[in-house]
Amino acid sequence: MTMISHDVVIVGAGLTGMRAAIEMGPGVDVAVISKVHPVRSHSGAAQGGINAALREEDSWESHAYDTVKGSDYLGDQDAIEIMCREAPSDIRQMEHWGVIFSRADDRRIAQRPFGGAGYPRTCYAADRTGHALLHAMYEQVMKRRVKVYTEWFLTSLIVENGECQGVTVLDMASGELVAVRAKAVVFATGGYGRVYLTSSNGLVNTGDGMAVAYRAGAPLMDMEFVQFHPTTLKSNGVLITEGSRGEGGILINAKGERFMSKYAPNAMELASRDVVSRSEQTEINEGRGVDGCVLLDLRHLGRDKILERLPQIRDLAIKFAGTDPIEVPIPVRPGAHYSMGGIKVDVDGATPMPGLFAGGECACVSVHGANRLGGNSLLETIVFGRRAGTAVNRYITGRAMPIPGDHHLAAQRDRIHTLMSRSGGERGNLLRHELGTVMNTDVGVFRDEKGLMEAVAKAREINDRAQSLWVMDKSRVFNTDLTEALEMQNVAELAQTIAAGALARKECRGAHYRNDHPGRDDANWMKHTLARWTPDGPELSYSAVTVTKYQPQERKY
Amino acid sequence: MRIEIEIERSNPAEGQPARFETFRVEVPRHITVLDTLIKLKNEVDGSITFRRSCRSAICGSCAMRINGRSGLACDTLVEDELHRFGHLRVQPLAHMPVMRDLAVDMQPFWNRVEAVNPWVETAPEREPAWPVERETLMDQAAVDEMDDTSKCIMCMACFSACEVSDVDTRFLGPAALAKAYRVVADPRDERKQERLTALNEVGGYWDCTRCNQCVQACPKDVKPMEAIVHLRREAINAGLTNTAGSRHITEFIKIVRSEGRLNEGRMPLKMVLSDPKKLLSVLPLAVDMLRHGKLPSPIHPPIPRVKEVRRIMDKKAK
Amino acid sequence: MKLKYAYYTGCAAKGVCPELDQATQAVARALDIELIELTAASCCGAGVIGELEYDTQLAMNARNLAMAEQLGLNMMTICGTCQGVISRANVALQHTATRDRINQGLIGNGGIYKGTTGVLHLLWVLVKEFGLARLEQAVTHPLTGLRVGPFYGCYILRPSEYLGFDDPYNPRSLEGVIRALGAEPVDYSGRTKCCGFPIVLENESNAMKMVGAHLLEAKGNGADCLVTPCPLCHMNLDLYQGKAEQEMHRKIGLPILHLPQLVGLALGLGPEALGLRRNMVDAMQLAADVGAT
Repeated sequence: MTMISHDVVIVGAGLTGMRAAIEMGPGVDVAVISKVHPVRSHSGAAQGGINAALREEDSWESHAYDTVKGSDYLGDQDAIEIMCREAPSDIRQMEHWGVIFSRADDRRIAQRPFGGAGYPRTCYAADRTGHALLHAMYEQVMKRRVKVYTEWFLTSLIVENGECQGVTVLDMASGELVAVRAKAVVFATGGYGRVYLTSSNGLVNTGDGMAVAYRAGAPLMDMEFVQFHPTTLKSNGVLITEGSRGEGGILINAKGERFMSKYAPNAMELASRDVVSRSEQTEINEGRGVDGCVLLDLRHLGRDKILERLPQIRDLAIKFAGTDPIEVPIPVRPGAHYSMGGIKVDVDGATPMPGLFAGGECACVSVHGANRLGGNSLLETIVFGRRAGTAVNRYITGRAMPIPGDHHLAAQRDRIHTLMSRSGGERGNLLRHELGTVMNTDVGVFRDEKGLMEAVAKAREINDRAQSLWVMDKSRVFNTDLTEALEMQNVAELAQTIAAGALARKECRGAHYRNDHPGRDDANWMKHTLARWTPDGPELSYSAVTVTKYQPQERKY
Repeated sequence: MRIEIEIERSNPAEGQPARFETFRVEVPRHITVLDTLIKLKNEVDGSITFRRSCRSAICGSCAMRINGRSGLACDTLVEDELHRFGHLRVQPLAHMPVMRDLAVDMQPFWNRVEAVNPWVETAPEREPAWPVERETLMDQAAVDEMDDTSKCIMCMACFSACEVSDVDTRFLGPAALAKAYRVVADPRDERKQERLTALNEVGGYWDCTRCNQCVQACPKDVKPMEAIVHLRREAINAGLTNTAGSRHITEFIKIVRSEGRLNEGRMPLKMVLSDPKKLLSVLPLAVDMLRHGKLPSPIHPPIPRVKEVRRIMDKKAK
Repeated sequence: MKLKYAYYTGCAAKGVCPELDQATQAVARALDIELIELTAASCCGAGVIGELEYDTQLAMNARNLAMAEQLGLNMMTICGTCQGVISRANVALQHTATRDRINQGLIGNGGIYKGTTGVLHLLWVLVKEFGLARLEQAVTHPLTGLRVGPFYGCYILRPSEYLGFDDPYNPRSLEGVIRALGAEPVDYSGRTKCCGFPIVLENESNAMKMVGAHLLEAKGNGADCLVTPCPLCHMNLDLYQGKAEQEMHRKIGLPILHLPQLVGLALGLGPEALGLRRNMVDAMQLAADVGAT
């Protein structure tokens, strides 16, 4: 068994993880651990942009107001203010670090309008902003020679006396388990979109960090808030950017009706994501869908405009849906897109567990509350990745390297040995399919008590079954069958917290919509849900939302 | 539809050499190669090993050789492959050691990328202090110049397809050189000359044979070879004219300007005259060519209306 | 209707490979294809001029294309490299703004280019316009038993978006011609690969490793000879074959035929008419074996 040491270990090499690593002070021995190579991280899939009040006519206060309102007043306003105030400097720093932003006529960073924003403040790099940021961030990681352990899979957190002292990981190439002790650990492991059957997320987005932290005793916050993107491809959940509607694409049902006129007569297809997703799901549920989908019609834009403005979308539709949008509408449906919830952290990324920090989609600060605005997720990764780095520098100063016992690694060795020695049973990915179906149906766009109670029970049952999966692959080398089984255990863990939080929350707020409890209920439910692990499933408690100067109002666009 | 897929399986670390294994599976019509592999892994053989994540051609994980062509499994349709080749055969990328099945050790690729110092370099005194008050001003035209190369997702398909990499492990390869051009073309970078000089060596931009395999293979239309050509142009314009590659271009242009077409009798002559060792090495070949009536006269009449060609070429020179 | 083309020889067929021009003209006569040679056409730039001066190369090709356009004919090339460069130029020149910009530089010359000329390689002419069935009928001396490795070269295949003819990974046109002539195509992976010619002066060793690998693979798969639609590939595979043998420490001795030379043999044209004596690797014996005299 191997034990290595670093002052700081960061798990996850997307935007948050790499940003935190770059922030480490001189002389700090930092290592980044990731189950995929940094540039494969899901940050790169973000298309639209990143928000900041860069222009003199705009203000960070206006950005904060839009974010608070978009969060349906569940976001913590102190955190939102910090994010919006610091955004311009972070964006400009990324620009100096080499991000190739699209440019305005005055040669400054170009910005475009986005849903829910009162000013065009979304900076972008064509339609691949996340990709531009991710690759530039990795350039900085190479420049600074940050140590990265690629394809190391997180298996557990090392906690002694309530203090986080490192992690255990599986080195996928060799199949060896490694204990990495550290004075501080930062989780930057991304979202849990793969809990759902239909998701725009990459297959790696299995919420590993959240599940591992949760099992180790760190609370998860607001897990029931899952953003569903209105236009994901039926075949595989691949995202069709909002830009396709921005360019004039319309949504029609089986009868050819432009149904958004019933639900959002003013904003139509450009209403907020939760509204459009619910409208689509209503059409589908009431029998006006087409094979479980509605249709995104771009035909009236004409061949030239499609080729000029939406070439990648056309390409995606042809390749992944087998339809050329110049000739036929694209079948789309709502798909899980973003996890508003995550490991509870403060504005410096510190979790309630000493020594454990978190940032980005795996964390919940909370800046997104009940609904995230487009362009704020990339921003969160950079602002709070940096802040977590700063806080970790402070935290480790003067701290000695902990000396955890061997039993942490031994426990993981036993866990994996048990999985590997089983010669029959359920296959992880088939069980994941079963779980995803339940989550789609009962913890999806629309929710009610009956469905949620079933989902809670089912998630519990699936979690039990996930403890005895069958790993067919018996090799030590790059055993992805094994890591997929571990991922299945992670999504099953998280599904319980999502379903339990949703069952308890008897109101509609942002992305959480209860058919049986219409309307937002600020008197009883303007509070965060906290889920703590117990052997009998999640234990829920609640905490207050921080309000600075934005009092709750009805959310209308 | 019911299909057959041949997968190259191997596990060198555990002593299993490469062999093809054939699977027969029922799949929907519009399935991708990646989804077929996932289906097989879930339902038939969990030990089939490959990388994958985004399924939408942005993360770059699932590049492999599909019927010999290096590309992404997630954006390749099974039906198209069967139509084009009559069969479906997947193999790991070339030019890197195989870890297992379709997963290769990426280190040789990343070593090359890191070798070009692929980051925008600003002198430390010009690094902006925090908080950063303003961005660099830049024209959209400059952004556009970097558009192709900045689309790269580092999927390694071009490196696998690269024909020079078939014969020379020193060659940095298409992705790394495209990345180098992405930085050279960046108006914010302050090490342009240094970069061009460093890559003016063995393994750099002159070693590309312009076979276009990388351009053809790239799933994101990065056109790496075009970036390499741009590096050559930048190098010559920056005065780096001491290489055979640069002489080849400039002499080529001179000959065509004078005669309207390339005279292969003069081209090698110009190339070897500066290098006595080379001159000696080509002598036997020249004798042999003479014997076959293949040695073109170094003196050639120009084409009719050669003045028009000269006008075109001189116009550029102005 | 009689096929008629503006004939663009390119530089190699006027320099180091006169046998290519000679064989092309002989085959065209035999197949009753009329060729009007563009004697004042310049070098296409071979992608080399374009490396330094993209617009110059484009303008030179606009001038060449304009000559064919003025004749009201499509252009026929006999060089894979010329085909690649001119095809690509022609695609670029379909954009009005580009064409206008380039035409500025042509004013005062023989005329501007309107963008209406097609460019076809001899190989494509045979497959698409003459027709393989007709070619098969024209064969008087079928090359029965001859095993021929097709060697496409890069620029007639890639990047395919500018060419739009063969599948760049699984081309069929040379195989079709070989079959029509009564010979048997040999499959080998090198058939779509690079001959290394563009770096032969810069990095001869790499170029020779490429040549050697393809020749040995083809020979290993039973090829009696290779046929290529590109004289630059021909140079590297034929003229430099001795060097490749040194690099690989192996005797190879594989005859390399220009496309019209192979076609000519099946049409009963003699080695002299096809300039076979100029091939560096002996092709005379092969001609004798298939009954050409």
